[in-house]
Amino acid sequence: MKPVDLTTQLGGITLRNPVITSSGTYGFGEEYLAYCPLEALGGITLKGITPLPRLGNPVPRLAETPAGLLNAVGLENPGLEEFLKSYLPKLNKVPTAVIANISGFSLDDYACMARALKKGSGITALEVNISCPNVKHGGMHFGTDPRSAQEVIAAVRAETDLPIIAKLSPNVTDIVEMARAVQRGGADVLSLINTLLGMTIDLNSQRPVLANTFGGLSGPAVRPVAVRMVWQVAEAVDLPIIGMGGITSWQDAVEFLLAGATAVSIGTGNFYNPQAPLDVVEGIRNYCEQRGYSSVQELVGLAHRG
Amino acid sequence: MLAQGLVVSHEQMGSSNQKLRRLVLQGPVAQTAKAGQFVTVQVQDSARTSFDPLLRRPISIAEISQERDEITLFYRIKGRGTEILAQARCGDSLSIMGPLGNGFSLPEEGELWLVAGGIGIFPLFALVQSALSQGLKVRLFWGGESKAFLESAGLTSWKELGIELSLSTLDGSLGEKGLVTELVQSALSQNKPTESKPEAKEVKVSVAACGPKGMMQSVTELCQRFNVPIEVSLEERMGCAVGACLGCVCTLKDKAGRQIHKKVCLDGPVFRGEEVVWNETC
Repeated sequence: MKPVDLTTQLGGITLRNPVITSSGTYGFGEEYLAYCPLEALGGITLKGITPLPRLGNPVPRLAETPAGLLNAVGLENPGLEEFLKSYLPKLNKVPTAVIANISGFSLDDYACMARALKKGSGITALEVNISCPNVKHGGMHFGTDPRSAQEVIAAVRAETDLPIIAKLSPNVTDIVEMARAVQRGGADVLSLINTLLGMTIDLNSQRPVLANTFGGLSGPAVRPVAVRMVWQVAEAVDLPIIGMGGITSWQDAVEFLLAGATAVSIGTGNFYNPQAPLDVVEGIRNYCEQRGYSSVQELVGLAHRG
Repeated sequence: MLAQGLVVSHEQMGSSNQKLRRLVLQGPVAQTAKAGQFVTVQVQDSARTSFDPLLRRPISIAEISQERDEITLFYRIKGRGTEILAQARCGDSLSIMGPLGNGFSLPEEGELWLVAGGIGIFPLFALVQSALSQGLKVRLFWGGESKAFLESAGLTSWKELGIELSLSTLDGSLGEKGLVTELVQSALSQNKPTESKPEAKEVKVSVAACGPKGMMQSVTELCQRFNVPIEVSLEERMGCAVGACLGCVCTLKDKAGRQIHKKVCLDGPVFRGEEVVWNETC
């Protein structure tokens, strides 16, 4: 029997397999090397960067909830200049696709980062974060209004030839409307979902646990919401989707593929099991073998049939 | 590394209302672990995993035995994660990540003074072993709630080391009544030559502290006043434990006096006391 073809086409780039790691959970690619070789992954998505360095929010930044994790890191990052100087040169040698995640507070912010992260710099694609729930202006503000979302993506499109991945917020009434808006702006790929806005309160102090009061919920608790949104967008919009939200196992990943995702991304699942991406790749391969699929892409959207 | 830890012993320490446990895990982590490092533990047996809690629990390594492939963890049952961990039985297999983080450094000369508040004593168990094996003179200052706490949390084994112990309890049931910082302050004062005793020779002291944040801040301020180097072990809620998620940052001052963030899991948990910004604003 021929081995299962795991290669995945995504917005003009070819990934070794459909398993990516999510922005904000995988640092700049070095942190998990002792647990997961990067050449085993389809790609990694870097921590979100902004034009200027950010210290982010005060601690506590994390709070556990049943099967979930609230975070309010607040886009702490070294800033574009330091990223270009200290991180980007090392990423040239990384043996997998490298997706940079960019965030900003104005259209100019997004445009200037797209200009700086050129083709040939070691970056495979740009993920445009219009959905961070943990900063006061920008971030999710751009991702909850369709017109703003379209403008941000168009501003990035005007500056880059790299594939553009628009990372969508689930904190909207109609995810399909948002997906259509970023498609009009020129996005090549959709990432969904970012975290769901939530909070939790400490019964002893009788105060919110997170210093930022609100945080973004991730982990297995959000998976059904994410699968539903991938399904809805896959029905309505003709762009490849990176499905994410609560994936910890190969079964979770296959569910996203069946719902219509072309690739999947693992975020909080890495904290639970730092070898989850390896297990997911192997599990997808076995599932395809056992069911007689020659390519993983045959699974994409299967749940929508007849 | 990510490895399995076989539970070979899991017992209550001292009286039951102290909720302290001693957990011995057998596995390859012991071969590379150093004093002051920690592991993160998935609190359920690997055959019965669950998402509640979702995250692993960081616990400092109290003893390391390379001959037996064993690490010993001491912990207090404090919340849902440790409540579930407390149910682990001999023969269970727990998923362990580690060893992680950087421990205390050992001074090349002089005396090492250990300062512990409450269960901040636990990471110092491994430290005292390596300090004594390097021939350093060690003193312990340890404050706790009560005699029952100190005895449950391993006082006997500290006594067996034959080092000088200075103890305090909040209720006065053992040692001095009050805070451990007061003991440290008077010991640092006594170590200084004074006008009445100008001939007294000052011993070169280094301090390693672990305990509540307020205690470590006070001890750091004392050490700065007496010009004594101090390292502190910080604690913060952790996500990934490898420096990727930025959940567990602490605020430090860099050389120019600017506030910067470091990751407790990767850059720490031990930092120089004078670097730490105790009342951070960012």
